[in-house]
Amino acid sequence: MNETTNLLIGIAMGLNLLALGSSRLPTLILAMSAQGVVLGLMPLLIVEPPDWRVLLVAVATVAGKGLVIPHLLRRAMRTAHIDREVEPFIGFVPSLLLGAGGTIAAVAVARTLPLLPEHSGSLLVPGSLASVLTGFVLLIGRAKAISQVCGYLILENGIYLFGLLLIHSTPLLVESGILLDVTVGVFIIGIIVDRIQRAFDSLDTRKLTALRE
Amino acid sequence: MTGTWLAIAGAGMLLSLLAGFRAPNGWLAAFGAGAAGALGAAVTVFAEGGTWEFRPAASLGGEAIHLRLDAVSAFFLALFGLVGGAGAVYARSYWSEAAHPRTAGAGRFWWSLLLLCLGLVLLTANGLHFLMAWELFTLAAYYLVTLDRRGREVRAAGWLYLAASHLAALCLFAFFSLLAARTGSWELGPLRDRPELAPLFWLALFGFGLKAGMFPLHVWLPSAHANAPSHVSAILSGVTIKIGIYGLVRFSGWLPAPPAAGWVVAALGVASAVLGVAFALGQHDLKRLLAYHSVENIGIILIGLGFAMVAADQGQAAWGQLALAGGLLHVWNHGLFKALLFFAAGALVHATGTREMSRLGGLWRAMPWTASLFALGAAAISGLPPLNGFVSEWLVFLGLFDATLAHGPAAWAAIPAAVLLGLTGALALACFVKVCGVVLLGAPRSAAASHAHECAPAQRAAMVALGSGCVAIGLAPVFFWPVLARAVADWQPAWGGVVAPAPLAALSRVHAALALLAGAAAVWLWRKAGRNGLRRAVTWDCGYAAPTARMQYTAGSFAGIITGWFEWILRPVRHAPRPLEILPARVSCGQHTPETVLEYVVEPAGGAVMRLALAARRFQHGRVQAYLFYLLMGVAALAALVFLGGSP
Repeated sequence: MNETTNLLIGIAMGLNLLALGSSRLPTLILAMSAQGVVLGLMPLLIVEPPDWRVLLVAVATVAGKGLVIPHLLRRAMRTAHIDREVEPFIGFVPSLLLGAGGTIAAVAVARTLPLLPEHSGSLLVPGSLASVLTGFVLLIGRAKAISQVCGYLILENGIYLFGLLLIHSTPLLVESGILLDVTVGVFIIGIIVDRIQRAFDSLDTRKLTALRE
Repeated sequence: MTGTWLAIAGAGMLLSLLAGFRAPNGWLAAFGAGAAGALGAAVTVFAEGGTWEFRPAASLGGEAIHLRLDAVSAFFLALFGLVGGAGAVYARSYWSEAAHPRTAGAGRFWWSLLLLCLGLVLLTANGLHFLMAWELFTLAAYYLVTLDRRGREVRAAGWLYLAASHLAALCLFAFFSLLAARTGSWELGPLRDRPELAPLFWLALFGFGLKAGMFPLHVWLPSAHANAPSHVSAILSGVTIKIGIYGLVRFSGWLPAPPAAGWVVAALGVASAVLGVAFALGQHDLKRLLAYHSVENIGIILIGLGFAMVAADQGQAAWGQLALAGGLLHVWNHGLFKALLFFAAGALVHATGTREMSRLGGLWRAMPWTASLFALGAAAISGLPPLNGFVSEWLVFLGLFDATLAHGPAAWAAIPAAVLLGLTGALALACFVKVCGVVLLGAPRSAAASHAHECAPAQRAAMVALGSGCVAIGLAPVFFWPVLARAVADWQPAWGGVVAPAPLAALSRVHAALALLAGAAAVWLWRKAGRNGLRRAVTWDCGYAAPTARMQYTAGSFAGIITGWFEWILRPVRHAPRPLEILPARVSCGQHTPETVLEYVVEPAGGAVMRLALAARRFQHGRVQAYLFYLLMGVAALAALVFLGGSP
């Protein structure tokens, strides 16, 4: 079980770097949704044997992160006529360097954390920290609202990974609650994206500075 | 018995709150009943001794209500009742419906609320309720100060008062919360055997000292007292700044104080006394001058309290009692004569329309009642026998002299303190000679001053009541000693019985003889004048053919020599453009004394804070990405703190 989960987390960490390095929005959305699917499968591997609730949550996560949210984002892109270019504040190479450095630092920090013995060998904690950092880099370093939504979702994936540590003690309903929150959040962001587009004729969050006091 | 009186007081105050807006006469009656109830309760506590306590089965803000009246709080309650009652009589005709249709009702309402909350501050024995009443009375006082808020100066003064009061309240919140955290309850009471509570005294000193107007925390006081309506100036100066003294007396008595506290309080007292009167000498605005005298008198009170604390620390009962009794009696005295002076100043300002002393003059003839009562108050505040100011300052002096004779470590501090206290008295006398000479005597300097008229009978009655209080304490101090003795014994039970100092009885006799002599001299002069006939002439005639009122000494020239001594702190600003022609048609020369601490310390500090705040606003530029970056940095800093600081 540990090897498989570590493999999946490794793939998720690779997808982080892909998200940081991609210069086009569809690739970014794809990386984000692929990460969601990969992580959605994890509860099935961790809880053995998987009961029906775990199954339900896994299916919901995969469907939500892999299908519904990317679909919503792509539709928002289409309706709002957004260019496919990612406009970075932080260039792709510096982003990648930051992501790689963050991943290494996450692994290093995770060793010093006082974890339970059964978690010490797994990549759960470094993977989650790396995803949170990647999400932050995307949020800080990208200009377009859609790419920020992707950053936010990757950050949420990191939080979700951390939550898996507690899967034995917390009911999975909590996880499904988070999932629901995220979906609603994306809905709202979709609506806001539309409003920003109409108000400013652009989705560039740099223009939001006109709203400051 | 005390409970009944307090119930009357509370009911009267609440009724007057309701009646304030609509029914002025009902308000006056209810407030009078309330003030009488407060006085009655205080007198009962003094007569019966002991402490009145009341714990109803009710709570407020999650804390059980606990009221308590002992001799210390009754001492202040009596002053508040008397000055509040006299002020209400004065205010009813001074700030009447006819003269101020927009604000008269609000003024009465806030007046009642102020006195009610001040009473609650004195009565409550719970830190939380203390803070609630404290905040409420601060707000009520703010609305009273800015009652006539059309003037820009009034609004600025109100704002400064509110800001300073909240700084004081902040310190008191810290004080009471730390006290509650260390004792485990908000209940207040004697905790003299808990030495770990001693450092809290510094917080109390800052909070209560700011409210009392102690130098250098007095910056809010002159402008608030000068710009408020005069009955409000009287209550602020006579009563609300005393609540700061009450806090200091209360908590220096109940809690242990650090050994240095007494010295610091005494030093601050000396500084307040000398510098307060020096600043007063430099003023040209009548009410601002009186306001600085509040700083001076607070200083005298603090000298008494500070040396009493030193004495308590060193176990010197004999002179400690005298110093504290002098300080406490000065609380009463200052409340009486300063309220009297502000009432009279209000009448003078109302009659002439200006507070500028250089535009007044010769008012004794137009307003004999007001002028005589002002002069009485001036003699009392200058510490002239046989009036009350002399009695309390003399008790403080007695304490300082006995401390010197006791040859303790306090002796070396007591000698300079006594010298400086004497200097303060002399300067105060000079200052009030200046005020009386410029404002009341001489010839009117402006048309407004020559058309002045006497104030209404109700206002005169209020002033006469306060003036007779001054005379009574001056002539019969022995009669008031038991009250002081009870308060002192409540402050420091370890000192045991408090005996009247032998010279006090002698002082009473000397004062009575002085008063008799003065009365006899007055009668003799009167009769002589009646026999020979009076010839009235222009003052400052000086043998000129056509004298003018502009030839008289101005307030500034009168005090010029003395303000010159204090130039290092007063920093007077002169405007004297040099005349360029040989025979200039117009020349002018002016001088004003700024509030040094405010303009050279507080305002630059405030400006620096504002510049920093403006610089910090550059971080608020509206870029979401950068905000997220701040967030990340904040989290990273917290994480670093946790990692480096070790596990908690």
